[in-house]
Amino acid sequence: MIRLGFNDREKAQAVSAYCAKHSIEKVFLIAPPRFMDVPMDVDVERLELSSIIEYRIFYRMMQEVGPGTLVIVNECLRKQYRSDLAYNCIRNFLLQTEHQIIFQHLPIVDSLDDFMILVDFDTRSRWRLHRWEPGFRGELDLVVKEVPLVFSEHRVEASPKDHERYSKEKRKLIDGIGLRDPHIIPRNLGLFTGTVKARHIDQGAHYVARNGRLRLPNLQTYRDTSFPHEYDVFEFCHNFVDFAEFVALTQQSRFRVMTTDLKVDRWYFDRYAAWAERLAGAYEALHG
Amino acid sequence: MPTKRYTGEDVVTAARRRIGFVFDHFEQVIVSVSGGKDSTALVHLALTEARARGRRVGVFFLDEEVMYQSTVEQVERIMGDAAAKRMWLQIPFHLTNATSTTEGQLRCWEPSQRKIWMRPKGPKNMKHKPWDESAERFRSGYKWLDFYGVIENFERCFENTAFLVGLRAAGESPNRWRAVTKNPVPIGGKNVYWATRKGSNVAMYPIYDWDFHDVWKYIHDHEVPYSRIYDMQFRKGYAMSEMRVSSLIHERAFKSICDLPEFEPRTYQRLLRRVKGIALAQETGKSAKLFACRKLPKNFKSWIAYRDFLLKTHPDRERLPIFKKRFARHLENEYVARQQCRQLLLNDYENNLPIDNTEDPREALVRYYDEVL
Repeated sequence: MIRLGFNDREKAQAVSAYCAKHSIEKVFLIAPPRFMDVPMDVDVERLELSSIIEYRIFYRMMQEVGPGTLVIVNECLRKQYRSDLAYNCIRNFLLQTEHQIIFQHLPIVDSLDDFMILVDFDTRSRWRLHRWEPGFRGELDLVVKEVPLVFSEHRVEASPKDHERYSKEKRKLIDGIGLRDPHIIPRNLGLFTGTVKARHIDQGAHYVARNGRLRLPNLQTYRDTSFPHEYDVFEFCHNFVDFAEFVALTQQSRFRVMTTDLKVDRWYFDRYAAWAERLAGAYEALHG
Repeated sequence: MPTKRYTGEDVVTAARRRIGFVFDHFEQVIVSVSGGKDSTALVHLALTEARARGRRVGVFFLDEEVMYQSTVEQVERIMGDAAAKRMWLQIPFHLTNATSTTEGQLRCWEPSQRKIWMRPKGPKNMKHKPWDESAERFRSGYKWLDFYGVIENFERCFENTAFLVGLRAAGESPNRWRAVTKNPVPIGGKNVYWATRKGSNVAMYPIYDWDFHDVWKYIHDHEVPYSRIYDMQFRKGYAMSEMRVSSLIHERAFKSICDLPEFEPRTYQRLLRRVKGIALAQETGKSAKLFACRKLPKNFKSWIAYRDFLLKTHPDRERLPIFKKRFARHLENEYVARQQCRQLLLNDYENNLPIDNTEDPREALVRYYDEVL
């Protein structure tokens, strides 16, 4: 079964209910490091997602997963490549049991096709070469708790001197790109605008940023493990998957985003707004 | 130009019908097998038809020596069928060795290397060329007998014979599909679009419209024994395109050497003795900086500089002009140069890993960012 948008408590309840209903002998939980410690009311062996491809884990799982095993796949949608080695390995164990629970906060990384990775887990790869079709809805035990993402702008002004420095920085990056990944252009310009935005940080608010370069106590990074407050976005991360994990960890859905009138901030904001629209479209498709 | 459309007939029924057609029109039928899944399915279909008609079918296998033991066992299983006429050819010919630049060619079954052959020649196999050596021909541009050269010479030993090949052209490669269907062969008053003429013989592709999953479904449904190496590759998470059972030192297959010690330790041990470069390929076959050629070694500033260095220092001076001539036709950019480096590192003078000779996609991305940011 697939459960979307559940919090930790709901996940634990779902697992307990499932174990009570079926004769489960052993429970494995596979998750990325930050989602490993989800509290459970039943005995669970926890395995880190990245270790699944290691022989010592993979072959052991192939031997141990059987008809009485429940495998919980928790927040494992991290890559869009459907034949990723870790996904392949997980599907291999899942072929040996009919008991699996797939938990995921957001159903996509970037497009609806990503949801089929979860469907593959849940259907023993039956629709492995297919894209999403509304007909699949009836075949899945799917519960969707929507997380509608809303981004609002908190606009701060950059000075003419900032604009001048921005143009120079952009030219320097483009002219010196060499063999480096072109995506460093928006990434580094995004970091540059951070220096402008730092002047407008509200000491009473909490922010999330790409890294801890500003060394401010109220500013956390996307890589942190816990987010106990409500957060504003100081700057977006480049990869959607990092933001999706941040959303899962904070359970927050409305975000105030600090932006300047420098072009890279507009570009990032529009990019994430379009992503939120694709997410809404995905929910619509899943509801059929 | 033929187009693809659904006919309502499933691919297995269509393949059976095609094989029946072949048996109706040819007295001699030979199936080429490699030990892989496609030829396994095809030879099963052909042997089933042959048994039903009380006939026998030639099963031709060109043994490349440097292969998985599982492949050898699979071919042995196929040849053991009562309706199969054994045509297992074990003669010396040249194979590309992608694992070494100093020994770019391996002469398999080389008599002087008998002591270190991967395995002895089988007593029931063909150990000598079945054709007249004075009439032997090499493929255009080749000075030696290579894999396809052997097949061409072998085919010329026969007349009015149907050679069944397990080539699949559905979905995976439009070029292959065009090559199969573009020159139909008239047989029994019909234009056969799944065949090509080869002198007085005809190469026929009865499963040309099957896809990867059709083959595995057929094998499953009919409980056809298949090479166990596929199970190991599947468990290890190989992509479909990487699941190969052919020569272990081929440009497209040498990556399997990385996992060979795990899959077949004895085969790996023998391969180490037999072929140069194996230990390096085993350690670095998937390394981004060496054979995979994804990362530029740090002492070079560009792929173009790296390519020029490789050209200057390439140890195989005989094949260097082939690379130079080919590269002269290419665009000069980093994207193309990286692929040229890969060809040089793999000694791919045969152009089996063709170069995508287009503008660098990174440049388009940089232009986009320049515009929008």
